Amino acid sequence: MAELLLDSDIRIWVFLPIVLITFLCGILRHYVSVLISTQKKVDLTQLQDSQAMIRSRMLRENGKYIPEQSFLMRRHFFNNDESGYLKTVKRASAPQPMTDPNMMVEMLKGQLTNMLPMIAIGGWINWTFSGFVTTKVPFPLTLRFKPMLQRGIELVSLDASWVSSASWYFLNVFGLRSIYTLVLGENNAADQARIMEDQMSGAAMAMPQDPKAAFKAEWEALEIADHKWALKDVECDLLQKAEVDYLVNSQSFVNSS
Amino acid sequence: MSGRVRTRVDRGTGEVVAYSDAAVRNNLAVIEYCRTSMAALSGGTAGLLGLTGLYGFLFFLVAGLVLWLLLLVKAGNRWQRFFVSRQSLLTSGIFSGLFTYILCWTFLYGMVHVY
Amino acid sequence: MATLDLDWEDVREQLRTWREDNTRHSEEVVDMWDYCLKHYKHKLGDERWMVEEQVVVAGLDCYRLDVAEPSLVALNDQFPGSLRVRKLKAMRLEALERFDEAMDIYDSIIRQDETNSTARKRKVSVLRGQGRITEAIKELTEYLKIFMSDSEAWQELCDLYLKEADYSKAAFCMEELILTNPHNHLFHTRYAEIKYTQGGLDNMEIARSYFSQAAKLNPNNVRALYGLFMSCTQVLSSSKMSGPKKKETQQLATWALKEISDRYSKCRTNTMDGSKILETFKSLSIMDKA
Repeated sequence: MAELLLDSDIRIWVFLPIVLITFLCGILRHYVSVLISTQKKVDLTQLQDSQAMIRSRMLRENGKYIPEQSFLMRRHFFNNDESGYLKTVKRASAPQPMTDPNMMVEMLKGQLTNMLPMIAIGGWINWTFSGFVTTKVPFPLTLRFKPMLQRGIELVSLDASWVSSASWYFLNVFGLRSIYTLVLGENNAADQARIMEDQMSGAAMAMPQDPKAAFKAEWEALEIADHKWALKDVECDLLQKAEVDYLVNSQSFVNSS
Repeated sequence: MSGRVRTRVDRGTGEVVAYSDAAVRNNLAVIEYCRTSMAALSGGTAGLLGLTGLYGFLFFLVAGLVLWLLLLVKAGNRWQRFFVSRQSLLTSGIFSGLFTYILCWTFLYGMVHVY
Repeated sequence: MATLDLDWEDVREQLRTWREDNTRHSEEVVDMWDYCLKHYKHKLGDERWMVEEQVVVAGLDCYRLDVAEPSLVALNDQFPGSLRVRKLKAMRLEALERFDEAMDIYDSIIRQDETNSTARKRKVSVLRGQGRITEAIKELTEYLKIFMSDSEAWQELCDLYLKEADYSKAAFCMEELILTNPHNHLFHTRYAEIKYTQGGLDNMEIARSYFSQAAKLNPNNVRALYGLFMSCTQVLSSSKMSGPKKKETQQLATWALKEISDRYSKCRTNTMDGSKILETFKSLSIMDKA
């Protein structure tokens, strides 16, 4: 196979700039999204719903640790047909994303910071650095990879491991993701503050989109949850353990003496 | 903040193991950090050394294995206090690591050996 | 000034740990700030404001207004109109016992941001500070209707009910806490104690179970062991149980007693002489046999 010799100016004026541009754009995008994203506003009913869900889940998971009477009382509170919390509280079903202007703005912002720069810069790079063979991947590839790695160069005879400028850009976009977490996740005084805030205003804010369906699911799960008191045999366990301990101790005493 | 405490039944002994959710998540985040650093560094090394083809991928596997061993040594024989499973410590996130590795590898290989 | 016997970076780390663990350590925080970190606040960067907030709270806890007030002023200059700062101002008013004004501020915070849980909790603490326990209970139950998985609030409510000697409701709150964290032996002990105080055979048996659970979760919980012994003797004295069950309870009582006396006989040091306590236990066990 004939080795290609690339002009080293390509390295300085094409290969490196692409890496730098993608990396810096990623950083910039991160800070821009921090800048324009608004603190999500939660309303009281939403909060109440999520808290009720957490409590009911807790009851299902850990209900075995409280006496049966108490468990039934709580289940009654959630599930009773006439007055149960999950039954009586009426919530509107999921808001349609398209009709809610706030949601639209939020989505638009996400699009704006994520997709747009990538496409714009991709296009710009394609235009500025078009037609360069920039580098070679250090492992052999089959012909199938040619259209993927050699975008913008239509050479049949070129080996598949050579990479064109546009493809090098896309490789960078995908490969740098974890590097970003490395760089941006390291120094996150701002992030920490936000986590603290969340903890203060009640653990999990994440609420399923549709409270009605979520309530129904929770109601069903709670309805079939039965109570098996975990403390029923605890005294026996304790005594048995004590006996074993006693035996072990006396054994070691015998051995040592 | 201790976070929520979860329980899990150990398959081997049938005992109930309690662990703090937040702490486990924090540990995994730290591990992820290690793994990304390792992938980037080993990719760079492979590129500088000019490894090609299968040797490069072997190098990645070796690097991952070394990282795993180092983590186990660091955790000592009390690894159960820090992680839920030893196997997932080795295998999880191997593909995202591979991507980073290939990028760094290609980058430095291109810088040093192609031109 | 004794400024430099502490490394300011260590102090910053320590304060950060306390902040993340949600522990107060007010006196230490005030001292650390006063002797050390105060002189390095420009080096803290963005973290400075969180430290200042911590210092304000700590200063108010210890009634060190000379420490709290400068930080409060600094925070106010940095974030005018912030709800968090307004909460701190109200806490200062609380410290000065100007409760009504503090209450007004909390109300205005809630009006502005009705999901603000800290302001609601502070209102409860204002009422408690004034000794208006029943009103505090009412306020707290209102709060818990919305934030029903807030375990801190349940704990506080339990405390308030205990002050009012309303044991069944306190027990309810304790159950709620056990649900949120069933591996905390202290919750089990407290619950058992409440049940024990309530009295009656059923409650006594429940108390016995929960004392056992606490002793199982943490074998060093002497309070639980003692409670286990007491509840066992109570159960024995008040009921006509069948043979094997009675025997089991008896065994449990003797075991608990043995554990306790083991522990006390181990710590026979100069400062803490276990022998007196052991004598007391001996007399107790004689009573048990009789």
